[in-house]
Parts: sequence; structure tokens; C-alpha cells
Amino acid sequence: MSRVRALAAGGLVAFMLAAAPATPLTGQDPARIADAQLVLAPLIEAYGVSGAEGPVRETVRRLLPAWAHAETDTAGNLWVRIGRGDPVVVFVAHLDEIGFRVAAVRDDGSLELEPRGGFFAALFEAQPALVHGERGDVPGVLLPRDSGFTRHTPPPLRVDVGAGARAAALALGVGPGATVTMPKQYVRLAGTRATGRACDDRVGDAALVLALRHLDRAALRHEVIFIWSVREEIGLEGAAVAARALGTTPKRVHAIDTFVTADSPLELPNFAVAPLGLGPVARALDNSSITPPAYVDSLVALARARGIPLQVGTTNGGNDGSMFARYGVVDVAIGWPMRYSHSPAELIDLKDVASLAELIQAAAEAW
Amino acid sequence: MRSTSGSADPSRRCRVVAATALLWLAAAAATRLQAQTSVAALALRFGAMTAVTGLEQAMTDSLLALLPGAARDRVGNVTLTLGRGAPRRLAACPLDEVGYVVGAVTPEGYLLLRRVGTHVPYPLFDQQLEGHRVTVFGTRGPVPGVVAVKSVHLTRGRSTPGAIDPVFALDNAYVDVGATAAAGARALGIDVLAPVALTKQPLLYGDRLLAVRGGGRRAACAALAAAALTQPRVRGTVVVAFTVQSLYAQDGAVASVQALLGPFEETKIVTLPARYPDTAVETVALREAEALERQLVAWLEGR
Repeated sequence: MSRVRALAAGGLVAFMLAAAPATPLTGQDPARIADAQLVLAPLIEAYGVSGAEGPVRETVRRLLPAWAHAETDTAGNLWVRIGRGDPVVVFVAHLDEIGFRVAAVRDDGSLELEPRGGFFAALFEAQPALVHGERGDVPGVLLPRDSGFTRHTPPPLRVDVGAGARAAALALGVGPGATVTMPKQYVRLAGTRATGRACDDRVGDAALVLALRHLDRAALRHEVIFIWSVREEIGLEGAAVAARALGTTPKRVHAIDTFVTADSPLELPNFAVAPLGLGPVARALDNSSITPPAYVDSLVALARARGIPLQVGTTNGGNDGSMFARYGVVDVAIGWPMRYSHSPAELIDLKDVASLAELIQAAAEAW
Repeated sequence: MRSTSGSADPSRRCRVVAATALLWLAAAAATRLQAQTSVAALALRFGAMTAVTGLEQAMTDSLLALLPGAARDRVGNVTLTLGRGAPRRLAACPLDEVGYVVGAVTPEGYLLLRRVGTHVPYPLFDQQLEGHRVTVFGTRGPVPGVVAVKSVHLTRGRSTPGAIDPVFALDNAYVDVGATAAAGARALGIDVLAPVALTKQPLLYGDRLLAVRGGGRRAACAALAAAALTQPRVRGTVVVAFTVQSLYAQDGAVASVQALLGPFEETKIVTLPARYPDTAVETVALREAEALERQLVAWLEGR
């Protein structure tokens, strides 16, 4: 979820829909949860800083059902189109993750970095690094500061790959333009909780894949477009290209992106309180878009009819769907609750992932 | 025409083949064992272990398994006596590290922490916990968790430019293991006093540089263990000790080895220099660890 297109947002809207489900909650089904994990884990463990999403895009391709015909546009977005006719509905989740790009190489071989996306730099200081260079991944360390110990925020970060000299670093293929992350893993926690850096927005990517796998194509009465977008974290750039290409054709767009939750011991409970494990969230208001209330009501009715748990709330951040608004396309953003956003410790509940996939499927088939 | 060269006896040929295979297997096993007990392999292995000061038993169990003849004393130090007679000398390596224990479990299932170990030269030691993975060593085995951090999105509009920028305080370290209530955390074998540490993920980079928290100590201990495993011809008696609680109570552990197994005419504390000490990327050069092993073998043999 982008911090770039920030506007002021606030107000307490989050509430839970306590309606009794019409059918059993399949999102609670252990098989569905296991399925969600199988799709999500490799996506989380793929690396793709904004502008270098190739490995993630290829992972999505590999996970798609065999029948899905995927195409990559000039921006790098991945598209799957199914069904025919109006109204055209778009679902979009972003491929990229926050990280760094090498800006320069010093004489001592250390790499100067510039951030890609918004995050607390302190979370990366004095940590292992992976430089995604021309010749593959090169390990190194993000250097600790040597002064200014009374401040949380470090000075601009650098990476040491042990090269010792500029020429040696360049010979490793880690020159300007290479992207930098930290090594990461998907880790299952207690119950149905899980952690891994870049849950934002790999959960969205996974939910689109899962929805496609279960979609009843024969039941589709209109065209549905699934887009895995690029460069969301640095300004919704991939979505802007997709929105321009589609123009006024779509009726609705569903940005499938994180609902940053205040369900955390460190957050104020003024807004964004969507507990983990209680289902996806209609992101009715954020810093980039407002969903018309009638559309929120329709989504709620759909979820209720399908027995899918749904929360409604407001949080901070922007979403890809907002780029479609200028073409008259209504953005009905949907998220799932996530703690500790843009940190190495992003934390989710797999029940929400399974339910989110079901909601996407329902919105494609029946709305 | 029959050939007269070589053996025509099939059973003899089988015996030769079998003996050759055995020799090859023995050589391969020895090579594998040597590889597993090389300084580099041991440094990686020790580097991945956690031994919060005063709570080092898992690591000392591993050392006891590695070093035939080693014993654990009443304090918890692992000692191995080599040779006999005079002079009596001691080579000691502290293996413990600054870490944490669970101080409390909240009703919501979060764990709060108390630091263990008094020597913390890196001012941002606790800040390294924020937003990172930790391992909680519960009674039912290691439990993964993360330390809570504010979501960057939710800080928007809540601070002003130039506002104070305080470092992370340990009092804000809420460990989230995925439990939703205190009972859920306890069901995982977690309660007050369970050791907690940043999850160790040793990283090799550059020209055989090893980065891991506590890498200097662990590589030094690896050099000492590797030296002991070479079966040196020790001059007199040498007690090789891997000491515990060195970061507590004024390094009482070495003193306790001296009290229990001494007196010693000479004591050598084994250390290695490290870059970025007390950070998650404390870095040692494996080449220096290998040089240290050679020096230690010479010292053990009295050369």
C-alpha cells in the first residue's frame, strides 16, 4: 500500500458486520487455509523492489491455472482477461515491495542507497542485505551508524558487500540501479497467523491467484480483468498505465491491497481497528480514494449472501484503484488486516487470505 | 586362449572390491567429519546457536556431543581435560551472549521482555529487536515470533517535522507469536523466564566474512573446539573450557573453572576481533579464525 499519494484521512469507521452467514465460512476451512499458504509462501519469498518485479511476476505466472493466458504490458503489469461483455470489472494487486536502489558506489566499495517506498530506515540498519545485481544476488550487510545514537533514524544507509574497492564492487554487478533488500522468509506462527516481509501486497497477489483457480468461468456474465501491477510503492505507476489503457471501459475497479490495522499493541485505536482473523475489510476510505456508500453496501450484501466475513473500515495509505477514478471508474478497494506494515515483521492471518480470495471470486461471479 | 594376467578368482575380486569400497567410504567419512569440524563449519554452526547468558544449556548440550570426554560442571561450563601432569594451563572461551527472557505475558498473548547480560556496548542493541523476528525458547521447543513495530502508514499526520526521534525502548518490545491470549502463549510452552533472542541467520559475504550477532565469540569458540579436536600432543595438562555466564556477575564463570579445576599456571582467554560488534551483522573473517586455530594448537602443544 503506497504512502506516496498521501492525503489526510481520519475518523473512526471500522466496524464489524455481525450478520450470520448464509453458508458455512469456507475461509475457516483448513484445506482452504493450507491452499492459501501454498500460494502465498513462494510469493512472499520472491524479491521485487519497485521497478524490479520480475521474479515476483514470474512466480505469479507459475502459480496461475493452466488455462489462464497471461500477458505483460509495456510497464511490466501482468494481465489475465476472462469472460466477455459489460460491465468490465478490474481487480488489481501490486507485485512490488519496498526496499532500496543503489545510487552510487564509493571508493571503498560500499554502496550508497536510496529508498524505494516509505518505511522506517532504522528497521534495515545493521541487518543482512541482498543486492540484486546484474549477475545474481550478492550478500552483504547494511552498515550500522557510527554516531548519532540518540536518534531512532539512522543517517542514509549503505551496504558493504566485502568488495573493498569500487572496481571490485562493480565487478560483482552491484552498481547503480541494482536493488537491495534483506533476506526474508515466510514463517508460520501460532494458529493461523503468519509473518514475512512483503505481505503487502503478496497477500493481494495470492488472493487473485486463488480466486482465479476457483472461479466458475462458465458463470461469468461479463469481462473480468485481473492485473498484477508494478511500482505501486513509488506512486501507483503501473496502475496509472493500466488505467490509461482501459480508459472509461471498466465500471468498477477493486484494488486488492493491505488494510493497515491498528489491531496492535503499539497503535492508537482511533481508526483502522480491524482485528486479524475476522475477515477481509472494505477499505471504504483511505488517503487516495473513497468508495461510494452504495457500493460499500453492495459489497456487504454480497459477502453476507456468500457467508464471507467482512469488516468495513478506514485506514491510511493509497491504492492502485484510485488511478482509475479519473476515468470515471468506481474504486471499491478491498483489503485484509495486517500488522506492522512495511517492516520485516508484517503479520497476517491466513483465514483472512482465504476469505479475501472467496470475496474476490464472489465479486467477479455475482456482482 | 586364457589370459594369465590378473586374478581369475571371482571371490577374491569381490573381496578386493569390498575392501576398496570400505577404504573409500572410511576416507569419505573422515573427510566429511573433518569438513564438519573445520573452523568454518563450526563457526557457522555455533553462530546459528543461541545461548542467552545464564541459559546456555542447549548450546552446551551441543558442545558435549561434539567433544568426546567433555563434561559439564556445576555452573554449566563445558570442560575438556587434555594431557596430564604439569604444567596445568587453561584455555577458555566465553560462549554466552546478551539476550532476553520473557518478563511477562499479557492477557492478549503478547510477551514482554527483560534483558539479560550487563555488558551492552552498542547503544542501539535493543532497537535491533524492533520489527524483527525473534525465537522464543519454550519448554516445547523454539517458537518463532516477531517484535511489534508501529505501522509506518499509521504514523502519517501524527508527527510534526523536527519532532523528537527517540530510539526504541525495550519497554515497547511486544513479542507477537501469533497467540491471541495468554493461555495460547502458554500452550506453546512459553512462560516467564523463557529465553528470547533475535533469530540467528548467519550470512557469508565478501571474502569469507561471517556476519551474525555474537560472531566474534562464536568463531573464537569454534577455533578452540577445532583445535581441541585435532588431538594435539599437549604439553602437561590443558583444560579447554567453554564458559557460561561471562556476561553476568563479573565473569564468574572463568573464576569458577579456576576454582573447580585449578590452580593453573597460565590462563588464555580465546577471542577474535570483530567488526560491528553487538549488532546483528557482527562480522568476523573466517581466515582469522583459522589462523587462531593454528595458534591454539601450537599453544596446546606448548610450542
